[in-house]
This record gives sequence, structure tokens and C-alpha cells, in this order.
Amino acid sequence: MTEEVSKSTSSQTRYKLWVDILIFAAFLIAMDPRSSGLALHEWLTLSMLAAMTVHLLLNWDWIIQISSRFLGKLGGLNRVNYILNWLLFVDGTLIMISGIMISEVALPLMGIQLPQGFGWRRLHDMSANLFLLMLGIHTALHWNWIANTFNRYLTQPIVRLFVAGSKKDASA
Amino acid sequence: MKTLGRIFIILFAFVLLSGLMVAAVDASGLNQPDFNGERTEFRPQGQGGEEGGLPFRPDGDRESGERGGRGGFGWIFGAVKNVGVISVLVILIAWPRSMSKKKKKAVAGP
Repeated sequence: MTEEVSKSTSSQTRYKLWVDILIFAAFLIAMDPRSSGLALHEWLTLSMLAAMTVHLLLNWDWIIQISSRFLGKLGGLNRVNYILNWLLFVDGTLIMISGIMISEVALPLMGIQLPQGFGWRRLHDMSANLFLLMLGIHTALHWNWIANTFNRYLTQPIVRLFVAGSKKDASA
Repeated sequence: MKTLGRIFIILFAFVLLSGLMVAAVDASGLNQPDFNGERTEFRPQGQGGEEGGLPFRPDGDRESGERGGRGGFGWIFGAVKNVGVISVLVILIAWPRSMSKKKKKAVAGP
């Protein structure tokens, strides 16, 4: 039973790591629309709504736990994390909605034409820059988890693979 | 079923926030190109607009805009810049935290 629980936690952690790497890579590409092109920028960010939903689902227990304890006894770091995550959600929503309002590829392709405006464009730029800063703080606050999980599920298996390969070569 | 309910909650929060933002921007008049009805939009003469050509767009119509002007290895610069910003924040926040943890462990002793 304990082994089963441990296996399920382990696979969930691995899944979380891959989803986070995917979101991070997509964010880096989306942050530079001049290089990636507007079409990729728009479709990628629209699909990030699904990735963000998966990210939230994977951390659902933590969200519920902290939400119920937020007004009571809660560690300072958890409180900061919780507030920062809400700010990220609000800012992420602002990035998406402002992006939708100034869309030049994805929405016209769906036959939707929205009036263009400077306000949404400015908001889109500002919220994206703010998101980058908040993502940096979010990454920093979870750095221990990132480093440990990265080491456990990516670095160590690769190292083991090389060690096993060299042992085979030596015995041959 | 439980997951579906959670997805619904997340999407509901997203839609609610989006609606509030659209309403706030509309109410503040932030999206109006002409804020007081006095300032007229600059349009270069002889370039489209009401004369039948392509409508003039004050921003983003240039080739070097978001449509892919920075080709080649330009994307590396953008990615490095963004990763750099995140790295600086990680170093500024995570490093002092790990140092203080190490100090605490050292004080606690073996």
C-alpha cells in the first residue's frame, strides 16, 4: 500500500516537472513574438490556458489546503506563495484577455473581429513584463523543489545511463 | 468527475476575471484611441484610410514589428534576456535562503 502511494506520488512529481518545463519553455517562446512570429505567439499562448489548468489541477490539494488555512495559522512563506500565485493567475488572465483583444491571427481566423485599441496593447506589454518578474520570484521560491526534482528525475537517470554504459564497455 | 468540477472552477474564475477586466477597461476609457474627442489621430497623407487603400495602423504594421523581423539568432538574445531576468531573481531570493538554512543547520549542530 505504502509502495503504491509512493509510486503514485513519484509519477505525479515527474508529471509536474514535465508540465512545468513545458510551460516555462512555451513562456520563453511566447515572450519573444518578434522572433517566433505572431501566429505561433498567439496559438501557443492560447494553448497555454490548457497547460496552466493542468498545472493548477496538479497543485489543487495545496491550493485548497492553503485557502482553508489562509486566515488562520499559516507560515509566512506559504502566505507569500499563495498571494503570489493569485497575482500570477490574475496577471496571466490579463495577458490572455488583452492578447485576445489585440489578436491579429487566431481570432480573425475564427471569424471574430474585435476593435483594435492602444489600451489593450499597452496592458498586454505591461502585464507580460510583470509576469516575467513574478515568474522569477515564483521560480526562486520553489527553487529547492525544482533543483531536487530536476536532479532526481533528469540528471541522475542520465548519469546512471552513462555509468551503466561505461560498465558494460569495461566488462566487454 | 472531480477533475471536471475543478476544471470548471478554474475556467469560471478565468472567465469571471476576464469579464471584470474588459468591463474595467471599457469603463475607464483606456481603450479609446481619442480620449477627449479633441485629439485627432495622426494619419500620413496619401496612405489608405478613407481614400480606399489599406487602413493605417499606428503600430505594428512594419515588417520589423511582431511579424518576424528579428530572424536568425535574434530569438537567442530574447530568450537569454528573459532567462537572465529570472536567474537574477532566483539568485537574489533563493541563494540567501539556502545560506540561512545552512547557517541554521550549522548552529543546530550534528
